[in-house]
Amino acid sequence: MMKKTCFFIFLVALIVGLMVTFQIRTINRAAQGVPAGRDQELTIEYRRLETEKANLRKEIKDLESKLAQANKGQEEALSALEGELDNAKVAAGLVKITGPGIEITLDNPRPSSGAETPISFTLRDEDLLRVVNELRIAGAEALSINGQRIVATTEIRYAAPFINVNLTRVVPPYYILAVGDPERLRAAMDISGGVVEYLRELGAAVDIQASEDLTIPAYNGSHS
Amino acid sequence: MWVSIWALLGLLLGVVLGLYVPLFFPVVYAKYMSVAVLAALDSVFGGIRAAMEDTFDLAVFISGFFSNALLAAGLAFVGERLGIDLYLAAVVAFGVRLFQNLAIIRRRLLKK
Repeated sequence: MMKKTCFFIFLVALIVGLMVTFQIRTINRAAQGVPAGRDQELTIEYRRLETEKANLRKEIKDLESKLAQANKGQEEALSALEGELDNAKVAAGLVKITGPGIEITLDNPRPSSGAETPISFTLRDEDLLRVVNELRIAGAEALSINGQRIVATTEIRYAAPFINVNLTRVVPPYYILAVGDPERLRAAMDISGGVVEYLRELGAAVDIQASEDLTIPAYNGSHS
Repeated sequence: MWVSIWALLGLLLGVVLGLYVPLFFPVVYAKYMSVAVLAALDSVFGGIRAAMEDTFDLAVFISGFFSNALLAAGLAFVGERLGIDLYLAAVVAFGVRLFQNLAIIRRRLLKK
């Protein structure tokens, strides 16, 4: 009986000894390695960084879309400004214009062989101005006289014995080109009691040709 | 008298064996293991005391050894889940009993 008791107590004590040693070794190893709770700390830190990363990614997307929007806005503004500039250039006569329109040829009265009375009439600056004026009323988009573009600052002035257009001498015959609706332009010219009829009565040679493809050169002077 | 010597021998042998057996517990279980060790130690002392008082019962001894160790580890486990250091209860209870048992064993050894 005593022997059995001793044996079992010996056995249990042996197991306890083993456990103590294992435990000490485990604790030592744990102390050498990662301190307890460090894994939790790191997990929390990792989660925090993950959410931070997600937030930053969202911010990147947001900023990128904003940037794209800004770029798009800039492009739109640029194209709008370019369109405006093109319109302004057309209006200022800085680009050559091609399109349908009419071509008017004006010439001084030709001395006819049979006429006894010398013809004293010559085309004056006022006549050209009236023609230009009528064409403008009829909706001409662009005008030129003998290759000189008519712009806002263009003068048509008699400077004996020539007429100056854009400070350039023009001599008869005068070729006036007008881009616009050919029908309307021609109608404005042919109207009875109009400038063309008046000039014809005076003996000037007036010829009107409609054309589908006129090219009016750009203004080549300076605006200043 | 002989019982305590056998117990000491067992402890020593266990430690020596443990030093030569390269076995590790997972670090996660270290806490449960420590209270379990304390409970087992208490069982050993209780067994020695019972043997000296001639009231030793093998069934009580063995079942006490396992149930004490398991309860201590279980308390530590539940305490950790609940956020209370419940293993302290085991430490205090077994610690007090250890000293009591040791005192009784000491007196008995000195009386003889």
